[in-house]
Amino acid sequence: MIRQTSLFLGYELRFLLRNPVWPLFGIMQPVLYLLFFAPLLGRTTASGSMPEVLAMFTPGSMMMIALFGSLFAGFGMINETRNGVLERLAVSPAWPPAIILGRVAKDMLVLVIQAILVMGVAMLMGLRIGLPAFLIMLLLMAVTGLFAASLSYGLALAIKDENGVSQLVQFFAMPLTLIAGLFLPVSLGPDWLQTLARFNPLYYGVEAGRSLFRGDLGDSTIPIAFALLIGLALITMVWSMRSLRRLAS
Amino acid sequence: MIIEAHGLRKTFHAKRGRGKTEEVEAVRGIDLEVQKGEIFAALGPNGAGKTTTVRMLATFIAPTAGTARVAGFDVVKEAAKVRENIGYVSQAGGVDENNPGIDQLLLAGRIAGLSKKQALARADELLAAFSLTEIARRPARTLSGGQKRRFSIALGLVTAPPLVFLDEPTTGLDPQNRANLWDEVRALRDRGTSVLLTTHYLDEADALCDRLVIIDHGTVVAEGTPSSLKKEVAGDVVTLKLKGVDEAAEVLRAQSYVKEVRTEEGLLRAYLDDGEHGLPHLLRVLEERDLTLESISLDRATLDDVFLRHTGRSLRDAA
Repeated sequence: MIRQTSLFLGYELRFLLRNPVWPLFGIMQPVLYLLFFAPLLGRTTASGSMPEVLAMFTPGSMMMIALFGSLFAGFGMINETRNGVLERLAVSPAWPPAIILGRVAKDMLVLVIQAILVMGVAMLMGLRIGLPAFLIMLLLMAVTGLFAASLSYGLALAIKDENGVSQLVQFFAMPLTLIAGLFLPVSLGPDWLQTLARFNPLYYGVEAGRSLFRGDLGDSTIPIAFALLIGLALITMVWSMRSLRRLAS
Repeated sequence: MIIEAHGLRKTFHAKRGRGKTEEVEAVRGIDLEVQKGEIFAALGPNGAGKTTTVRMLATFIAPTAGTARVAGFDVVKEAAKVRENIGYVSQAGGVDENNPGIDQLLLAGRIAGLSKKQALARADELLAAFSLTEIARRPARTLSGGQKRRFSIALGLVTAPPLVFLDEPTTGLDPQNRANLWDEVRALRDRGTSVLLTTHYLDEADALCDRLVIIDHGTVVAEGTPSSLKKEVAGDVVTLKLKGVDEAAEVLRAQSYVKEVRTEEGLLRAYLDDGEHGLPHLLRVLEERDLTLESISLDRATLDDVFLRHTGRSLRDAA
């Protein structure tokens, strides 16, 4: 099983290494936000210092890559439902879940690397975080990527239509972004918004990131975020594997 | 027997508008027996159920009813075993446009359990056999249709399976590539591989296969070798264009050397076992009745005549 998954992962990574430019485009959006939007946020934090602003803003900008990058991972697979690649793999001796797992693992890896780059930029701008917080944040991004990519493959295999999937992802991405407090913490807002945010798994991801970047490793949002995202990742992964099995009908 | 299928059925539930579903009976009870080492064709018009049948035999979809054993294993209960013993080349080809062919061959070999070294050796072998070595490292999207098709067949052969399914292998290929592909399919059989291919080309089934079934509306309407099927109809066909088709048909039916007469819109087909000798008689009889011909042709009976006999319409017209 692990062998099969790593074979598919290897195949995907070889493609990535031949075309390494695209994931770099993916981090442009959060980096631009860090450079041009974060400086506007001085008044939203207690001291208004740049490191404090970055600790608040960087986790949100990292979630942005997951939302606007990993959620589109399934796009390539829509074509594969038509060109016979998935059909061929489905009747090959391959262990079927590996077809999805290998791709999800690649997307997870891409997201982690993108996250490292974004954190690197934030650090150059003055963000200061400890090594444990840095590593836990990477883990958090990994499970976020796992969830977002599996969801994307599930959508791709269920809908099998580029237009449908892109509209659907856009439709969900914007409200999820706003209600998660990606740009500004929802704690600045009214009660109803804060209540609403509690139903958004991304909210916990962003809040967990902020706690980590504040150095508050014991905060309750961190285990909640991990539990939620891992749970959702498992559900969406099973869903996408089932969709793969139902490909023919 | 490499394939043995009994009463295979497949019914799809297609969504039609809100909450309504329509049952589509793609395959309505097909029996098949394919011998080891033969090229077996399923000939039929588009939408006849050929692809659905092959997909069931290749374990891609489960039959609604019926049973099938492929390479000695049940396609439902022992699907994994079946997959180890077949190569499947779908109509769409299954070539990943973004990656080079060599990577896809290596991946296919590795997931089938070959070591890195074995997979590389097998890929080299196939690249050489299909003259693909030169273009192995180019992204597949830069290849021509014929080259891609050769890659898709090579991908199906990575595990050196005893049985290969080729679904419409030559659709969209130019005559040159088609002829080459036929040679490659024959070479497969010569090496002991059994081949089940589907086609809607009469000449392809005629030239390539050892035995065939003709499929129409999800059922087998005829089965045999190309020559035995044609012999069933007659040796030759005389096609006449004339006014008074019905009268001519009546006259010709009464002739002992005419096996069968069929008519369609101003055309009359008379089936004769020996066209060269029958034709002069036939012309004389028509002349006696003052039936004037617009045109006439004498041809060897083809599988289209077989199709016509069993379905009442020509494969060329069948949709």
